[in-house]
Amino acid sequence: VTRQSPKVGIYGFTGCAGDQLMILNCEDQLVDLFGATEIRSFLMAKSDNHEGELDVAFIEGSISTEEQLKRLKEIRERAKVVIAIGTCACHGGPQAMKLGEGGYEERYKKVYGNAKITVSKAFEAQPIDAFVKVDMYIPGCPIDKTEFLSAVSKLVAGRHPYLYKFPVCTECKWKENPCILYAGKFCAGPLTKAGCGAICPSHNLPCVGCWGPTDDLNVSSEYNLLKEKGYRPDEILRKIRKFGGANVAKLLKDIEAKEAKK
Amino acid sequence: MKELNVEALARVEGDGGITVTLDGKKVKSVTLDIHEGPRLIEQLVKGMTPADDLNVVPRICAICTLSHKYAAIRGLEKALGVTPPEKAQLMRELMMLGENIESNSLHTFLLALPDFLGYPSAIAMLNDYGDDVKRALRLKKFGNHVMAVSSGRIVHGENPIIGGFGKYPDKKSLEEIKLKAHELVPDAVRAVELFATIDYPTAPEADMVFMSVNALRKQYGFAGESILISNGKEANAEDYKKLTNERVVSHSFAKRSVYQDKPFTVGANARLVNMGKRLDGQAADLFKEHYSDRWLKNPLMNNLAQAIEMLWSLEHIPDMVDKVASLDNPPVEQPTRQTGSGTGAVEAPRGTLYHHYEVKDGLIEAADIITPTAQNLDDIERHMKLTAERMLADGKRDEEVRLGLEMVARAYDPCISCATHLVTLKRI
Repeated sequence: VTRQSPKVGIYGFTGCAGDQLMILNCEDQLVDLFGATEIRSFLMAKSDNHEGELDVAFIEGSISTEEQLKRLKEIRERAKVVIAIGTCACHGGPQAMKLGEGGYEERYKKVYGNAKITVSKAFEAQPIDAFVKVDMYIPGCPIDKTEFLSAVSKLVAGRHPYLYKFPVCTECKWKENPCILYAGKFCAGPLTKAGCGAICPSHNLPCVGCWGPTDDLNVSSEYNLLKEKGYRPDEILRKIRKFGGANVAKLLKDIEAKEAKK
Repeated sequence: MKELNVEALARVEGDGGITVTLDGKKVKSVTLDIHEGPRLIEQLVKGMTPADDLNVVPRICAICTLSHKYAAIRGLEKALGVTPPEKAQLMRELMMLGENIESNSLHTFLLALPDFLGYPSAIAMLNDYGDDVKRALRLKKFGNHVMAVSSGRIVHGENPIIGGFGKYPDKKSLEEIKLKAHELVPDAVRAVELFATIDYPTAPEADMVFMSVNALRKQYGFAGESILISNGKEANAEDYKKLTNERVVSHSFAKRSVYQDKPFTVGANARLVNMGKRLDGQAADLFKEHYSDRWLKNPLMNNLAQAIEMLWSLEHIPDMVDKVASLDNPPVEQPTRQTGSGTGAVEAPRGTLYHHYEVKDGLIEAADIITPTAQNLDDIERHMKLTAERMLADGKRDEEVRLGLEMVARAYDPCISCATHLVTLKRI
């Protein structure tokens, strides 16, 4: 039985292009990847791009101009499945770290001065699900090759990919690393989604939170662990919003509200 | 007024396009339009600790992630009075060799080569040039591997820190790198031969000024304290503002750079023009064989320059590995002060990258980052305009002109995410 290969589009918005680069970094699988799927559009890698109906659109980056917003909506309309790849698309990324706190206009002005603006209007970066429905999230800064390839393999086979639903701490334990928090360093591992393989703690370094907030059900107790270690809620927020942006702020607020009810 | 557009420039990093405005037969302007959204990174890192800043700034660009990390480390270590241990310094040089191989192989073979051979992508070249595509993937994978072993992962590794590294690689992984580097030398030699046989169009030719970091120890390399200019002058990296003169152009949001009121070029061609005599090994032989006056005026020669440089990087890995492996793992050097300022200058694969920091009481007070592509934008447009004028005067078709312009833009290996880490630009 031959299955028609899925029509795929790979797109990038505001970010570092690291997730598209990670796809190109699948050197051993790249030829197969282009063989198993019909890559209709991938501007970073090829010139012959055709914008039409898609089975899957992989979208990297956050949205920070009116023009991007228009294009995002247009991609959504012609894609059966939209998958956010990378922390910027999933959570807004570093450029969204102060989302919801105000001050954007002032920061913008400090960069541009009083230069006259004639371009597509820019606004503070936001994750793509602030504007369109997202069917699946593959976070990471950048995404992990293995996680991406296993998701694609499942999709090609018509299955639903499985993504980790626990924090970096779990992966860190698998590696039998000594706990960074117990060594007195501020590690974002307890609140950060797994998928990287606990790389930073494996290098004696605290997790920086680049996969964004975990959706583990025990997140309250993980948050409390950080508080027990003496870190204040505002310090915790400052540390991990670098990548999780407004979604981290929301997560912490929800936990605080839940705790207050108890 | 007629417009000739390349709406979405393919096979570059980031979101850009080209607009040519024609008034009758006269080319009024040629612009590299950058649609990438603004991020305001320099504003966002204000108030952060230097360690937190180091997590964020490499995210400006995935391809030059380690150049950003290294430039920031160099600037911050100066600000905080940190002298890195010798082993850390060598490891940083090793990671830069890896990034150079990764980025140059990606750009030369996968992004630029399809232009010259007439294909839409490297994947489309598989049937006719399968060996070369596989060669590119082998080199790229190896560059990535060196980056992963030294920095912790392929992209955005956090292992390099102020004062050293979180963890030094074990001897076995270092030894593997060394063996693999030897094995891949013929692939890199073939890359040079391939890019030396290409008939580069003459349309963009004009006299150029080149700038690059004067590498440490008077050797070839990717970091240093002063800047070499191809007019024979040299300047302290701390004076980077005088060299780059970043300015806001009234008709766009772009910050542009000029030196003595003229556009200049940074990148592998600039490094080889300024420091080619310092090369050694087969890279030196091939450079001597293929260098000519054309390098001084044709930006397309950057493709060949990147191939030669990739070979040099590869040839230097075994020696660097031996040096790293011979030293014991030092502890991380700690800051000796909490207030100070410093500029780090490194050579990213696509040119000179500056990170300047002012730190007060342990927090970032100001950050200034000037990327290679931002420095190259004026010169890219200058050479594109010449190309358009000459090709149209020769009666070339619009499609041919478009390709000619794309070749010039791509030859600079532009990193549009980098160039627009703080700006968005579109001209009409």
